[in-house]
Amino acid sequence: MTWEMLAVFIGSSLRLATPLLLGAVGELVSERAGVLNMSIEGMMLTAALAGAVGAWATGSPEIGLLAGLLAVLPVAALQAFLTNGLRANQIVTGLGINILVLGITTLAYREIFGARSRETIPGFDKWSPPVLGDMPVFGEAVFQQVWLVYAAIGLVLLTGFVLAHTALGVAIKACGENPRAVDKSGLSVTMIRSGAVMFTGFTAALGGVFLSIGDIHTFTEGMTNGAGYIAIVAVIFGNWRMGRTVIACLLFGAATALQFQLPAMGIEIPNALLIMAPYLLAFIAVAGLVGRQNAPPALTVPYWRA
Amino acid sequence: MSAEAPPLPATPWRSNLSRLTRLPGVFALAAVLVAFLVGLLLVVAMGVPLGKAIPAFLSGAFGSGYAISASLNRSVVFALVGLGFILANRAGLTNVGGEGQIAIGGIVATAVALYGGVDGLPLGLPFILPMLAATLAGGVWGGIAGVLRARVGTNEVISTLLLSFIAVWLLYWCVQSEHLLRQPMTTSATLPESAEIPHSTQLPLLTGSYATPVTIGLPIMIVLAILVAVVLARSGLGFRLRAVGLNPVASARAGIRVASTIVLAMFIAGALGGLAGAMMLQGEQYTLKTGFSSGYGFDGLVVGLLARGSVSGVLSAALLFAFLRSGGIAMEMSAGVPTALVMVIQGLIVIMIAGAAYWLERREASA
Repeated sequence: MTWEMLAVFIGSSLRLATPLLLGAVGELVSERAGVLNMSIEGMMLTAALAGAVGAWATGSPEIGLLAGLLAVLPVAALQAFLTNGLRANQIVTGLGINILVLGITTLAYREIFGARSRETIPGFDKWSPPVLGDMPVFGEAVFQQVWLVYAAIGLVLLTGFVLAHTALGVAIKACGENPRAVDKSGLSVTMIRSGAVMFTGFTAALGGVFLSIGDIHTFTEGMTNGAGYIAIVAVIFGNWRMGRTVIACLLFGAATALQFQLPAMGIEIPNALLIMAPYLLAFIAVAGLVGRQNAPPALTVPYWRA
Repeated sequence: MSAEAPPLPATPWRSNLSRLTRLPGVFALAAVLVAFLVGLLLVVAMGVPLGKAIPAFLSGAFGSGYAISASLNRSVVFALVGLGFILANRAGLTNVGGEGQIAIGGIVATAVALYGGVDGLPLGLPFILPMLAATLAGGVWGGIAGVLRARVGTNEVISTLLLSFIAVWLLYWCVQSEHLLRQPMTTSATLPESAEIPHSTQLPLLTGSYATPVTIGLPIMIVLAILVAVVLARSGLGFRLRAVGLNPVASARAGIRVASTIVLAMFIAGALGGLAGAMMLQGEQYTLKTGFSSGYGFDGLVVGLLARGSVSGVLSAALLFAFLRSGGIAMEMSAGVPTALVMVIQGLIVIMIAGAAYWLERREASA
């Protein structure tokens, strides 16, 4: 592998990891608060379509981003209401929302763009930071990215700080550890958990918008194609810790990048194995084969005030 | 405020039995009706005249012997997955891995039918052996999740979901690689799918005519449904499942082997999924392709949810969804309404039923 190829590989790994990273940050927060947010897949898909439609209709990717964020609000609010208001089964309602969103986005896409449109949609331009972007070989290939990639890194650092060092972070984590104690201390478990779900909606929307107008500048039916599930898997593989979750996302991004890189290098590894890798790794992790799993004890358990 | 009180009173059987599924039947019906109504509204909103969409739907679902047969075959698949779901749910387990169990069944049935040397055996063995192998493989696939739940405490929802993705990509791998199940490449246009399974391994048709291709899968499913109903209501296993679902700690004290009950429940659920996969392959598709199991596992899960724990519920929901799917496909072809409409209807049904289950329980508990 030449230095140029390595640079391209790192750059595309980072680009492919970004939607996972954005999704996983929000998912981590909501899982630490006790809500397994399956509907992240549907949230990302909603934002991907709304972002594409907004950018296409106005010619401005910024308005597309705004449209994506707004469109996710009702989806996230529905999930928050179902899990925290009605105390419904989190996984089943999440899967229900995903199939509903897949149906609605497909119908809407065909209504708006027609059945087989390949219209180019205005998307975000690439940008490279000074100094880093001027590095030889690596500068352009690695650092020239859509600004959302850098926003994702900032969001990870900020969220990691809030979870680890603030009162809000303690309250969020306590909702997943011992919600009754949170309730007794006078905070509302329902409010904190709902807020966590809405935050997942926010980060998932950024991830979805990145897919449609950040990365490839088009929308296709069901284009998230499991990215939301992989974000969940990253949190599981990351053992519900920020650092390991980020590493998982980068690893999964690299596995995807390898699918394109390996054939170019003349190495034959079954494509399916690389696509399967995230699920396989996460399965090995939840099977308890690599150390103890520290899932939040109250994960998926609805809280009743009694 | 009695904050220390248990969230739900551990009273009668019914109360905790299967939180997802215990609901007045009226409510399930109402949810289905509301979802259909929304579907109709969407058809109108898309500017398709109802006078065109509804007849297209009906003719696709019931319009001919062929249409009805295809829908019945489809309902067999949904019913098998749904039966597995309610059986495992009786033990408090939620099997969301139907999709993967179907995929594994399809892979194994294809492998045995094509390369197991079964073609030419007497007594119907050519089509029975692949089905049995697929059932066993699906059972093992589901059983893994049971073992993890019993031994390590892994949430079976997470493990069955991950196993589903793994199985779906295994299937993709199998049909992409010539070393596995892909048909021999003769030209560059050879499709990435398996060769067609021999005629003797295909499921016999009840009427013997391809105009009404109902397979023997239907009577097999009915026998299994009766068996599941008897097991749940009258057998020692049914009692153990119920006890473990209600209170695993008390069950263990009472001498019930909780771990093996959990593994067995997941094994049976997976086995029914594997059998469903074999029937899809041997009864309808005949070649294994990418996307083979697509959506079927989810529909089966929804059928299990809608059934509220009863076998008759599974059968009615399976029929409903099978005809809904067939009608939806016809509506896309002849009236231009995308089948995505069916997804909207299904999603709404799941959300309404799951959303109301806890709500009703809560009201009951506080009453």
